[in-house]
Amino acid sequence: MRTIHECKLYVVSGENYHPDRGLLEVMEAAIRGGADIVQLRDKASPKRELLRKARAMRELTRRLGTLFIVNDHPDIALAAEADGVHLGQDDLPVASARQMLGPDRLIGVSTHALPQAIAAERAGADYIGAGPVYPTGTKPDRPAATLSYISEAARAVRIPFFAIGGIHPGNAEDVLAAGASRLCAVSAVVGSPDPEEACRRLRGYIDRRQASRPPSPSAAARARLTVNGRAVETPAATLLELAAEYRLADRRVVAERNGEVVPRASWPDVPVREGDRIEFVHFVGGG
Amino acid sequence: MQASTNRLVVGGKPLRSRLFLGTGRYPSPTVMRQALDASGAHVITFAIRRVNLDGVEDDSVLRHLADRDLVFLPNTSGAADAEEAVRIARLAREAGLGDWIKVEISAHPRSLMPDPLETLRATERLVAEGFVALPYTSDDPMLCKRLEEAGAAAVMPGGSPIGTGLGLLNPYNLGWIAEEAKVPVIIDAGLGSAADAAQAMELGADGILVNTPVARARDPVAMARAMMLAIEAGRLSRLAGRIPRKRYATASSAPEGRLFAAPDAAAGGRHAGAVEGGGR
Repeated sequence: MRTIHECKLYVVSGENYHPDRGLLEVMEAAIRGGADIVQLRDKASPKRELLRKARAMRELTRRLGTLFIVNDHPDIALAAEADGVHLGQDDLPVASARQMLGPDRLIGVSTHALPQAIAAERAGADYIGAGPVYPTGTKPDRPAATLSYISEAARAVRIPFFAIGGIHPGNAEDVLAAGASRLCAVSAVVGSPDPEEACRRLRGYIDRRQASRPPSPSAAARARLTVNGRAVETPAATLLELAAEYRLADRRVVAERNGEVVPRASWPDVPVREGDRIEFVHFVGGG
Repeated sequence: MQASTNRLVVGGKPLRSRLFLGTGRYPSPTVMRQALDASGAHVITFAIRRVNLDGVEDDSVLRHLADRDLVFLPNTSGAADAEEAVRIARLAREAGLGDWIKVEISAHPRSLMPDPLETLRATERLVAEGFVALPYTSDDPMLCKRLEEAGAAAVMPGGSPIGTGLGLLNPYNLGWIAEEAKVPVIIDAGLGSAADAAQAMELGADGILVNTPVARARDPVAMARAMMLAIEAGRLSRLAGRIPRKRYATASSAPEGRLFAAPDAAAGGRHAGAVEGGGR
């Protein structure tokens, strides 16, 4: 059985993209092309119909040896014996889903900015989706999070993250260059006339990038700073990344760099450099 | 002391209570919340400290108070001079909880006495930056006047050193400050019990700020309520007007119609009763 850490290419279903072909046919093609984790995403079907599809997907993925995730519904995931559930920011909180699913099933969370990623990680998510990297037809209302979020996530997120949103073979290399090592695609695969070939191409970019990537960040890229009076070394390039490193990105803390307050809105843009003195402070009891 | 309006107004903000409550040193966050409820305080104070980089728990005191309508008064404790106080104030304002700041510059480690010159400098600079500055100061009437002229929204002279519970060591000065001030006077630091709060109000203070005497009382919640009642009692007493102090007694019961004749004052009272009362 595969683990989430081994997974590199995530394909999410979208039956509206292939009205003339069946769900299982398209998903099987995707898996044969190299998808190693797939998700049933269907906002339209009633639950009974959804369960029927989930059971069929479970059958397929068990046979082909890939992980299977159900979007939104822990109960369907349990009933269909899926490997886990994927939650949006407005769905059940991770803790509630964890109560229902137990410790072994996977919980993934969609995130659109680094504080959400950190929060999901702290809440016990097994992986996150990070995006949308590019504007996408799957989520037409959501502004793109852009490649900068991918770079931030690459530095600050420790659980596996899948870059998602408008990714296709034509831009996959850019996303990987920004720091992603895992990709997720919807329309570029299931909307393609040849889902297997689309996955093969995406998979090729992922594997080539992986092979050429240095094993760990080089020591030269790390800055030596003083954070709250302590000498530290960090790979962080911005104040936000530094905050994320200490799990402070989503907390009510205030930051000062070299004696000057840095408003939170500028954390993503303020660089941290060799020799900087950074303070992260908060309110505590006092008279 | 402000004119006898019923509401204390600081920096243009009408306050529900004349009690300012500190949030430090309670046995637990729950006790702090209960004490806050019992006190009726509207203004609560905080300190600004470094986040513990190793701790994953959110230990910010605000987590326990998020649901309340309060005025936040962060202090600059830990600052040794005006420069550091201004830095702390700017950090506090960036938290987005208002622009009030308690200027607290204690340079002496054992007395924690406020440094008068740095406090005045910090107040001037903070007022210029648009803060509502409430300096914690020594009980010096001239210094309080200077702070007022510098733009302090209130002056907060200490009763005695922070956390000592010694009460009001110089009621004479505090009375002067209250009499002279054109901004609210909040007696801050050193109070030990409700009696001190009542005394402060009787001296003409507009409010008090307490932390340790509530937080470290055997029953902080009961003491919080006692402080609230003492402030009300002390203020009413002040407004009601106390009698002058006199050397000699004046009977509360009118002499007219008494059953027996009054003692002879010239005799100093001694044996007078025996003479007049006739005994055997």
